[in-house]
Amino acid sequence: MSSDIRTLTLQSCRHCGAGAPTEVHFCPQCDRILTLTRHGDYFSFFGLPRKLTIDLADLEQRFRRLSRQFHPDYFYTATVPERLASLERASYLNDAYRVLKQPLDRAEYLLKIEGLPTVGRHQDANELPAGVLEEVFALSEELDDIRAAREAGAAPEALSARIDAARRPVEDRAARQEAQLELLFQRWDKQLDEEAPPDVRRATLESLRSLLQERSYIANLIAAANREGGQS
Amino acid sequence: MSKVVGIDLGTTNSLVAFVGKNGPFVIRDASGDGLVPSVVSLGRDDVVYVGREAERRLLTDPLRTVYSIKRFMGRGADDVRDEASLFPFRLHGETGGVLRVGLGDRELTPPEISAFILRELKWRAEKSFREQGEFDFEVDRAVITVPAYFNDAQRTATRDAGRIAGLEVLRIINEPTAASLAYGLDQRKAGTIAVYDFGGGTFDISILRVEDGVFQVLATHGDTHLGGDDIDQLLVALVLGEMGAGASADPRRLQAIRHAVIQAKWDLSERDDTEICVANPEAAGAGAVLFRRRLSREEFERIIRPVVDRTLEPCRQALADAGLDASQIDEAVLVGGSTRIPLVRRSVQDLFGRPPHAELNPDEVVAVGAAIQANIMVSGSRDMLLLDVTPLSLGIETMGGAMSKIILRNSTIPASGTEMFTTFVDNQTAVDIHVLQGERELVSDNRSLARFKLRGIPPMPAGLPRIQVRFQIDANGILSVSARELRTAIEQTIEVKPSYGLTDEEVERMLLESFEHAEADVEARVLIEARNEAGTVVRATERSLRNPDLAAAAETDLAPGELAAIESALADLASAMKSSDRATLEAKTKVLNDVTRHLAEVMMNRGVRAALAGKNVDGV
Repeated sequence: MSSDIRTLTLQSCRHCGAGAPTEVHFCPQCDRILTLTRHGDYFSFFGLPRKLTIDLADLEQRFRRLSRQFHPDYFYTATVPERLASLERASYLNDAYRVLKQPLDRAEYLLKIEGLPTVGRHQDANELPAGVLEEVFALSEELDDIRAAREAGAAPEALSARIDAARRPVEDRAARQEAQLELLFQRWDKQLDEEAPPDVRRATLESLRSLLQERSYIANLIAAANREGGQS
Repeated sequence: MSKVVGIDLGTTNSLVAFVGKNGPFVIRDASGDGLVPSVVSLGRDDVVYVGREAERRLLTDPLRTVYSIKRFMGRGADDVRDEASLFPFRLHGETGGVLRVGLGDRELTPPEISAFILRELKWRAEKSFREQGEFDFEVDRAVITVPAYFNDAQRTATRDAGRIAGLEVLRIINEPTAASLAYGLDQRKAGTIAVYDFGGGTFDISILRVEDGVFQVLATHGDTHLGGDDIDQLLVALVLGEMGAGASADPRRLQAIRHAVIQAKWDLSERDDTEICVANPEAAGAGAVLFRRRLSREEFERIIRPVVDRTLEPCRQALADAGLDASQIDEAVLVGGSTRIPLVRRSVQDLFGRPPHAELNPDEVVAVGAAIQANIMVSGSRDMLLLDVTPLSLGIETMGGAMSKIILRNSTIPASGTEMFTTFVDNQTAVDIHVLQGERELVSDNRSLARFKLRGIPPMPAGLPRIQVRFQIDANGILSVSARELRTAIEQTIEVKPSYGLTDEEVERMLLESFEHAEADVEARVLIEARNEAGTVVRATERSLRNPDLAAAAETDLAPGELAAIESALADLASAMKSSDRATLEAKTKVLNDVTRHLAEVMMNRGVRAALAGKNVDGV
């Protein structure tokens, strides 16, 4: 789904038959709300470019403005097709807002609409880079040891100190990942502005995907360590 | 255009409100009372009583009187086993089946019982519009409120109740959100509000962001079985314990205790000290006291603190879900009768670090908000908009009895989600889907909403069909499901079997039955009104006859035999009130009214003369 095709695709008004660009929500000819058939993506629905850095206050304002246009409360007296269109558009709007306001969900969504495979939730550790893998194994082993020690009746204070020490390198790694993520967001947005060649942009998305993959793995591990910490 | 009202269908009391030319108002009866007790009673004469009259019958005929029906909405027979013993009325239902409540010799579902209350509110509104000289007084559409934490089955049951009562339910909205609309009328500025709604049977907390007239719920949490009822039950248990064994056996006695402890609870919102005084239901008259005990506010607070504390955890959870700290809340708002309890107010103040708002009547604010929402929907004005959330996650059963979530809790509604399904054996043409609501990992810990069967899948090798199932939660928080096979684009047929609710056919049948009863109901209603009217005249006459000035008046101002005529007309009417003959009742009421008119004038003139005389004395 490249942006060139998107602008050519039209939706048509079920009421008067007029054609309309995918980004608009109301028929340019008869002003009725358009049935949600062909539409672009969450970004274009909000009238936004596919950028990863989003001004949240602006997004919120757009969300409120569009809610005022579509909400089913305002279509109670309308015809059945218009009521249905309002429900579908309001629903799509809410789903889109939920995804776009969270940076990670937004990035994963971008990868999806740009045609990359989805980021798995429980992926194989072997896909991780070697350096990350070492830290992951070290923490996993330490967590196993701590669990065994706790079951053997070790003092909780001693264990929580061990947990804190063990997860520090992984937490540092997580912080570095956040910084890298920020950089990749900026790189993508810049390439989009400069209309960089498709293969260059693709490479950025591939990097973004592996980083998200790695991040999700690390986040799971930290959550496990926190659970262990909470128990002791 | 017929009228569109807002209804607060509460556990203890229900109200109806309307937005008129001068803004929203609660519709009251002749005595100024806006509350209709959510009590339904079936008289021996087969007349259905609702509201105050039914509430009186709690004490005289508890086995034929149903209260707190909201607690049973959208629940199955299995859900209520533990609670059944706490209520004097009968609860029935087969395992896994629809719950039925015994009302006299009738067996009705909770939506049918609730429909009696809704019909009473509809009548009340129509009567009020008629009396205001409105040409078009009919009420056939309403916005009805539910606790924010109500699940799909409970919302659907509420909508069914509306339909059975002959109301088109424009929208089901959440009580705390409705309350925020009522408060928001005067304060349009941007801010974050927490609405703490502690009612008769349910507790809700909602965190909202208000900006540009958009009321956006950020998070909501609650407990649909936590309310003033629980406080009453603790006090009833206290009294029963002190009265000794066997006290609970008699339903009338149990109601007398309940009545007494509620009175004491109310007292303690105003005073530091009160008395629980249980009247003996078998012996009328003064001195017939079954049990008496002092109760200080301090002891009361010690007893009820566990119940109040149970409201605090959902508050913290809602704040966490909204990503906010208690200090970031600009305003806290109190809703629901139980927020009159000082301990509740203090707890809310401690939690949010500021005194909560309670300017609007906490019993009425929800109905007013519902009326505002009704007005938004029919007026075409876009000044205000409610964006609510679904309180519970929606998901489906996956292999191994786990729940896979499709729409997460606190998602703004309407919301949707899709899930892909395929087949496991060659040429399989149907797939079973089990829809659940809740936050737990295991299917068995969540609420079963419905079981669907996807049929008409084209025969293909196993794993090849790609069936997309779309779950749509509408603005009422109610689910619908559609499905299509993507390879063939064939729309699937879905058979919905609600796990606990009524089918559309059942609702239709109940609506038709209510039409059949409608004529009898109208007659019953007119009879009740005639009785009330007669009661008013009887009481006024008795008051005149007790007047110490009567003897003097009779001597100077009344014709011979006039008093005797009045007494005989009074006796006639009193006996007519025992029958169900409306024509006689109305005739006798008129007779007594006519025969006492002269007496009333005489007594009034004497009263005025006495007052003037008094004034002269003062003036000297």
